[in-house]
Order: sequence, then structure tokens, then C-alpha cells
Amino acid sequence: MTVVTTGDGAAPGTVDGMTQTTTRQAEHTATARASAVEVRGLQVAYGDFEAVRGIDLDVRTGEVFALLGTNGAGKTTTLEVIEGFGTRCGGSVSVLGMDPATQRHALTRRMGIQLQEGGFVDELTVGETLSLWQRLSDRPDRVERLLDRFDLARRRDTPASKLSGGEKRRLDLALAVWGSPELVVLDEPTTGLDPESRRRTWDAIQELQEAGRTVLLTTHYLEEAEALADRVAIMHEGRVAVSGTLAEILATRPAGFSAVLPADAPTDLPRFAGSTEIGGGRLSVRTTELQADLTAFLGWAAGRGVRLSDLRAAPASLADIYHAVRTETGTTAARTGTDTTEVAR
Amino acid sequence: MTTALAGTGPAQKVTALAGTELTLVVRNRTLAVSSVLLPIALGVFWAFSLGHGPEVWPMVVALQVAVTLGMGLYVTGTQTLVARRHARVLQRLRTSGISDGGLLLATLTPALAIALAQLVIFAVIDVVIGDQVPSNWPALVALVLGGIALMVGAALATSVVTPTPERAQITTLPMVFLMLGAAIAMVLIPATGWLQALLLVPGAGVGMLVRLMFGGEVGLGPTLGTIAATASLLVWAAVFIRLAAHRFRWDPRNG
Repeated sequence: MTVVTTGDGAAPGTVDGMTQTTTRQAEHTATARASAVEVRGLQVAYGDFEAVRGIDLDVRTGEVFALLGTNGAGKTTTLEVIEGFGTRCGGSVSVLGMDPATQRHALTRRMGIQLQEGGFVDELTVGETLSLWQRLSDRPDRVERLLDRFDLARRRDTPASKLSGGEKRRLDLALAVWGSPELVVLDEPTTGLDPESRRRTWDAIQELQEAGRTVLLTTHYLEEAEALADRVAIMHEGRVAVSGTLAEILATRPAGFSAVLPADAPTDLPRFAGSTEIGGGRLSVRTTELQADLTAFLGWAAGRGVRLSDLRAAPASLADIYHAVRTETGTTAARTGTDTTEVAR
Repeated sequence: MTTALAGTGPAQKVTALAGTELTLVVRNRTLAVSSVLLPIALGVFWAFSLGHGPEVWPMVVALQVAVTLGMGLYVTGTQTLVARRHARVLQRLRTSGISDGGLLLATLTPALAIALAQLVIFAVIDVVIGDQVPSNWPALVALVLGGIALMVGAALATSVVTPTPERAQITTLPMVFLMLGAAIAMVLIPATGWLQALLLVPGAGVGMLVRLMFGGEVGLGPTLGTIAATASLLVWAAVFIRLAAHRFRWDPRNG
């Protein structure tokens, strides 16, 4: 269940991580920024299927915003509307002060886009692809810089069809950040990448942020959102279930502790403020009163001479919240499950 | 932003992408050779097998033009559009900064170049072998421009109903046959009478313009005939482009 996240000094969720987030927030407020992306009541439907059911999003200038969610939650559909490629059937969308539905071409000057997959001409080499981009883009940049930045210099003369999945993804990202656009929209930038490539992509995203750019990304990976994002939104079934800074989101959820009890342990457990669950010999408690409940539990164990193994205590993690979002709306999922799958075919 | 240095006007972008597309054709030896050799072989074959003479020659030329426009431009163009959409290349290039129209034009450039090259090859063969020279030059110009406009429109419209590049071989067949048939028919039918109504068929203008090009008789007379035949090509081109504009898909989802 819950895993203690200590180890890396600056891992979000630890004290260091919190301070970092707070400092960032302070800087944000200080510069009093407008929204780079403002979405209000966005609705998108494919036929009878409502892919996006009235969502609000605010991506502030200069921040990294992560859109989380399962497959089919509506993330890519939302991005497509923001990019100007998708058609909305309700709500308003403003990207860098423009409406992507009518000003898409003007927007491409200021917005870099990474699509979810493919799109390279197989026969063109990495170098040729970048050179072509240089002549098609309105933002000046150098082919050499991007080859070096994304470790593609060795593959310069390799046709796109011969690149590995990770190399393709890096070339993708290179095109998206070409000329360092004000806003970069990345659809699952690290899906299918090895840890080294993922690290490199994270560095590139952080670099963009340090340069004052705004980044909006979707991801399946919670640790990616934790490591990169100033703010996150979790989408589920076409709606935004939770959104805010990591600290804000984590604070809304109970923390938890768990331990494996010996088979002969007495059953007179103390009354906890939170909810208790026992499975496979492991006791798990989710509680808003972590200190009190944990004290009671440890007191109980000490008083009865119970030897606990694998004792863990942790604040709520993004993973907990993610799972909570999915299970809390489980009934809705069951009800609309059939039409969802039909459309997904 | 200071983008002036990048030197990327709309025309330069189209040139850049069109140039890249042409490079790819040249690199693909098989395609390059076949698209040049095939028309030479066919052109020579028809010219010799069908014979000369004022009655037959316009038919030979109509056949040459219809095949060039139909196969060289329309089928190749449709295949290219669908293949580029299927591989998500169109979708990606839309994020680059080139306009939608420029993107389509550049994507169709190889097909246009192949068709024009084939027309030039046929012209040379016909001048060398044939015994008739076109006398109605406006009809020739209208033939080339109107024919290209119709084929580009038809390729855009056909790509809408073509889910995969392989399917293009089937989805393009009706239009190719229709145009070949109509073009040849317009050369052979009587100059007057209700059969002239065939001009309403897409691609029939090609045959009528070839007929007029060689000084052939049509009921409407050379000037009105040229205008009517050109209008037939352009109206159909407009119809196809309108259909495409409504339903064109840039990404491969849902076909």
C-alpha cells in the first residue's frame, strides 16, 4: 500500500520538497502572472460519446502543469482542443490570449507541440528532419543545438524509420521545443522511454521552465508529475477530479500507516480516528490524525509485546489520490463503462 | 518576436517542403524511373498501334492526357495524401508553422511534377512521331490547367474516403475510368446532338479540349466550346474541393 518516500533529499512530499514548492509559489505570486492557458467549461463529444464533460483548467505563465489520468480520461482530447486541432462543442478556451479554434496558425508561432506518436517521414534522416523544421518554423534555432541537446548527433544521418522508440521520442521533443516557444504542449513525453532518456527529457522540461517558458504535459507517470509539475490536474472520465499544487492536493487526503502483525497477535486493536483495513496479516490505517493514531497503535503493540514487522508511515501520495479518484467514481465508471468501451473500439 | 532572420515566408515554407518531397521521389529510384518510363512506353505504343490520321490522332492524345492526369496526378496524389496522413506526417507538419493550404500543395508537388514531366514527354513523342500539331493554343493551356485543377480537387476529395494508402488503388478506380471513358468519348462522338451532354461528366472536358486543340468541330464552336469544356473541368474541381474542405481529415483516426 503506502510507501515511505524518503531517500532522495528533494523528493516531493518530504520536507525539502515542500519548501521548494512553497518558494516556487512565492515567486509565482510575486511576478503576478496571467494564465497561459485558460479553459472554461470545455466540452468535446465524438458522436454520442462525451470525451470531455465540462472542465476548467488554468495553466499559469511560467509553470509546468501536468494533466494526469488513465487512458480515455480525455487528456489527449483536451490537448487537441488547446492545440487548435480538436473541435469543442461547448465552453471557452484561451491560449496565450488567442482562441485556438480560430487562430491556430498564429498560435503555432508561439506554441511548440509534441504529438503522442509518429509523424516522421521514414526516409528523411534526423538531420534532414530538423533542417526541414528550421525552414518551416517561425522560430529561429539551430539544428546543431538540438542534435547536441537531445543526444542525437550520432544519429544525424540515420533515417527516421531506423530510430529506436526512445530516439524518436527525443526527436519529437526537439521539434516541440524548436526555437524555445513561449508555451510547450507535450502529450506523454516520456511514455516508453528508458530511465536515462526519461531523465534527459525531464532536464529539458526543467530547462524550459527555468527559461520562463510554460509547459503543459500529460503523463501516466505519477512520479513524473511529482518531479516536474508545479500544479497538476487529475482527469477521470472527461472531468477534472482534482487539481491544484501537489502540496494542496496531498493535504486534502488522509495519511496512512501500515504494519504486518504476527499471526498470534491479540485482536483488541485500539479505536483509530481513521479507517482500518486488515488483509494478508497487514493492518493498514488511513487517517487524518496520523500522530494520534500511530501513537495509539505503537502504544498498543508495546503494551502487549507485539512485534511488528514492515512498519511504514507516510503522508498521502499522488498515487493514493490517483487511486482514490478512480475508485470513488467507480460506480460512475460501471454505469457508463459500456458506452465508453464501445466508442474506444 | 524577431523571426525575420529565420526568413520563412509562406512561399518559402511551401518551397522548402515541396523540395523535400521532390528529393524523396528522386531518392526512390523505382518510382522515379517508372513514372518516366511508363508514359514513354505507353505513348509510343499507342502512337504506333492506333495509327495516325486526323480521326485517330486526337484520340491518341486524349488517351495520353487522360492517363497522365488520371494515373500520374490523381492516383499518385491521392496515394501520397493518404500515406502522409496515415503516417501522421500531415498532423505533425501542421504543428510546424506551414499553412494548411501550403502543406497540401507541397505534399501534392511530386505528383504534380510527375504529371507535368509526363505531359512534356508525351508532347515530345507526339511532335516526333505525330503528323498533327495543335492549332488551338488556348484549348491546350485550358486543358493543362483545368485538368490539373480537376485532378487535385478529386485527389483531395478521394483522400477523404480512403482510409489506408493501399485502399487508394480501389477508391481511385471509378474516377480514373470515368475520366478515361469520357475523355475518349468526347473525341469520338458527333459534333452536335444530345451526346454532347456527356460534357457534364467529370473529366469529359479533357477530351473536348483535345478535340478543339487539333481544330476539331464541336457544336458550340471553338471559342464557346473551349469555355464550356474548361468550365466543366473547373466546376467539377470546385465541387470536389468543396467536398474535401468539409470533410478532410488530417489525422488517421476513424479513417
